[in-house]
Amino acid sequence: MNEANVEKKRLTNPPQTVNISIKRREKLGAQQYTETFEIPYRKNLNVISALMEIRKNPVTKDGKQTTPPVWDMNCLEQVCGICTMVINGRVRQSCSALVDDLLLAAGGNTITLEPMSKFPNVRDLTVDRTPMFNHLKKVHAWVELDGTHDLGAGPRMAQEDVQERYAYSRCMTCGCCLEACPQYSDDNYIGPQAIAQVRLFNMHPSGKMNRDERLEALMEDDGITNCGNAQNCIQVCPMSIPLTRAIYETNREVTIHGLFGWLRK
Amino acid sequence: MAEYQTYEHDVLVIGAGGAGLRAAIEASAAGVSVGLVCKSLLGKAHTVMAEGGVAAAMANVDDRDNWRVHFSDTMRGGQYVNNWRMAELHAKEAPDRVRELEAWGAVFDRTKDGRILQRNFGGHKYPRLAHVGDRTGLEMIRTLQDHGIHQGIEVYMEVTVIGLLKDGERVTGAFAYEREHGRFRIFKAKAVILATGGIGRAYKITSNSWEGTGDGHALAYDAGAELIDMEFIQFHPTGMVYPPSVRGILVTEGVRGEGGILKNSEGRRFMFDDIPDNYKDQTADSPEEGWRYTQGDKNARRPPELLTRDHVARCIVREVKAGRGTPNGGVYLDIAWIKEKISNAPEHIKKKLPSMYHQFKQLADLDITEQPMEVGPTTHYIMGGIRVDAETQASTVPGLFAAGECAAGINGANRLGGNSLSDLLVFGKRAGEYAVEFAKEQTQGEINQSQIEEIKRRALEAFERTGSENPFHIQHDLQAMMQDLVGIVRNEDEMQRALVGIKELQERRKKISLTGNIDFNPSWHTALDLHNLLTVSEAITRAAIERKESRGGQYREDYSAKNAEFGKVNFTIKKEAGGNMQIERVPIPEMPAELKQIIEEMG
Repeated sequence: MNEANVEKKRLTNPPQTVNISIKRREKLGAQQYTETFEIPYRKNLNVISALMEIRKNPVTKDGKQTTPPVWDMNCLEQVCGICTMVINGRVRQSCSALVDDLLLAAGGNTITLEPMSKFPNVRDLTVDRTPMFNHLKKVHAWVELDGTHDLGAGPRMAQEDVQERYAYSRCMTCGCCLEACPQYSDDNYIGPQAIAQVRLFNMHPSGKMNRDERLEALMEDDGITNCGNAQNCIQVCPMSIPLTRAIYETNREVTIHGLFGWLRK
Repeated sequence: MAEYQTYEHDVLVIGAGGAGLRAAIEASAAGVSVGLVCKSLLGKAHTVMAEGGVAAAMANVDDRDNWRVHFSDTMRGGQYVNNWRMAELHAKEAPDRVRELEAWGAVFDRTKDGRILQRNFGGHKYPRLAHVGDRTGLEMIRTLQDHGIHQGIEVYMEVTVIGLLKDGERVTGAFAYEREHGRFRIFKAKAVILATGGIGRAYKITSNSWEGTGDGHALAYDAGAELIDMEFIQFHPTGMVYPPSVRGILVTEGVRGEGGILKNSEGRRFMFDDIPDNYKDQTADSPEEGWRYTQGDKNARRPPELLTRDHVARCIVREVKAGRGTPNGGVYLDIAWIKEKISNAPEHIKKKLPSMYHQFKQLADLDITEQPMEVGPTTHYIMGGIRVDAETQASTVPGLFAAGECAAGINGANRLGGNSLSDLLVFGKRAGEYAVEFAKEQTQGEINQSQIEEIKRRALEAFERTGSENPFHIQHDLQAMMQDLVGIVRNEDEMQRALVGIKELQERRKKISLTGNIDFNPSWHTALDLHNLLTVSEAITRAAIERKESRGGQYREDYSAKNAEFGKVNFTIKKEAGGNMQIERVPIPEMPAELKQIIEEMG
């Protein structure tokens, strides 16, 4: 929840129409092409409402009848992360991207929409996010429990500790951090999303038990040392997760584990 | 005869929100093979949007709380037409389900002595909602998703089920298509659990995500299962009314729990003007007492803003109809006023309600620490759904189970806030457990090829036609009609008109003509959704006509009082052999003396 995102300005002299230029692709592996649509300007229009407008009557600006553009959406309040795409060159959720802001920032009256480039492009603006779930599996992002232990009254925890864990737990696997990361391509690096989850689960009272396993998962070729410290991830994270802190703290743990971990075996 | 890719599982779960994930985890832990089908992507289901918290009588904040109080609150909230056994199981098991979630890695806010913090919520006598900030749903989904991914559950994302398959009376699988490529798939299973969520998208103004199209309700109905309580729909009193692009998006009850008050355009705190008799002695009689309650004073009673959702929603409608609404047709919800009471109010509000602060700043350009919000009712939740057995969540069709919002019974005529997240956990687990038990006694059933071909023919016929109808327009018209004619305030005449309207829309649906191919074709998806939306709309309308009284989520201006006779019955809906919708009045079984006594004691 970047404060920069929160500051809103309104267009004083809005255009009559807005051009929405969409990078499209019929299916995985097919040629990508661009179509531009023109819709009437309305106050408080966001990118998803613009797309819905287009979908009802998919005719391009040049008058060509075409198929309705495809995108994913769900919550419409920036908490599920499914509608993430690259808007005017910046990765973000389209439900919270207001047309006014975009036009103000870019000048003119055209908005460009592209699918995220670091994931397989399934069709138009949709991508396959399976790599992110594979990352979670790889780093053991769960607490090992077989259901036989007595839950009792539950552990006591201090609110301050919970605050830090909450910061990491807000991850909605949207993919923004991976898209913005200059090091991440072709799934060669596990990335900030999974590293932050390592931090989260290593802070959990019983999650700690698998701490070493998580750290070791980060010591492989696609591991934490791939981070180039560009800090793009923290700029684009819509949930303001302290990703660079997670990387820093976890890297420290990984280093110590690499040096002295064998002593504990 | 066409060949389709076929997948076999012991248990198939349809829907990957809280209930579906919890059921899949339970079934998988029992060692059987589990398939989990979701229309969207894993972790993006509507549960993610839940804000307030999970209701569980853990008594961490007020030690007077226990399952009996929670049970009695749930029954009172549901106006006593609930399935009392479900309400009992839910109240008893919710605390363990919350602690289990914590053990799996969920983060909850803490009390000063380090236990899970619980907050006040409408209709709950004591602070009972375990929460983290105002993003409890996201926390729950993330935890369940992380806990589920490694268990060997086979997840099928972006797959929509369009028909259940039966071998004789028993459900033995499902027929589905992949949204991505439009390919059809067969799922064979010994037991199927429906966990598809709600129906909000049958209405124009709703807090529901795009997936809330009543799929599970319609699938079960088409497979011959009974629906129950379909007339009861919860309109959440506080949705955003402005700007139009976000109309319907929820403003959590937590705002009122933290001291937010409702005012009309004349500045009057109108909720004090209408407090129902059965809540009089639990409700504050002065703003001052109400404020003390929100700040944790155990001797104070709750402010009238925290009365049940149905009541608050109607009070808001009345103010707006009487011309005392805001410029955009809502009323004011003011949390900024608490600066009169505490010195660091803006920081306090941002800390307690971070995403509400953000949501309004971001989407409406409004600072809730300084200005009041404009809010109005939004379609939020359906209490009705698939009729299930309380212990096992089995529907009336063998092999078919249901859990979460698409199942019914626990909430009666009105659901209390926080009871849905606990419902998901308690009954998701039970559905998983008993589906496994059922599956273990079965062999894989036969798949009937002609059923598949029939489902497929119906799904594709719009591509063969040269009609003139566009599915988006039909959906739009249905939503507008349900909002106007079967909304918060209902009457016989309007609902009869709605029935005619639904017939017409069903006819128009038969004239939909689709172009293009079937891979990722949103027009086609909407055309398929329409069958579900029209089915649930008809069920809602017929049940609402039949219940000639006002109770909970059903308010009728032509029968504006509660009628004791209707308090003894539920309405069930079933597809009769000829294909018509059949409605039946069924008596509510007598409550055991022990539970009756609890209700009498708690008042």
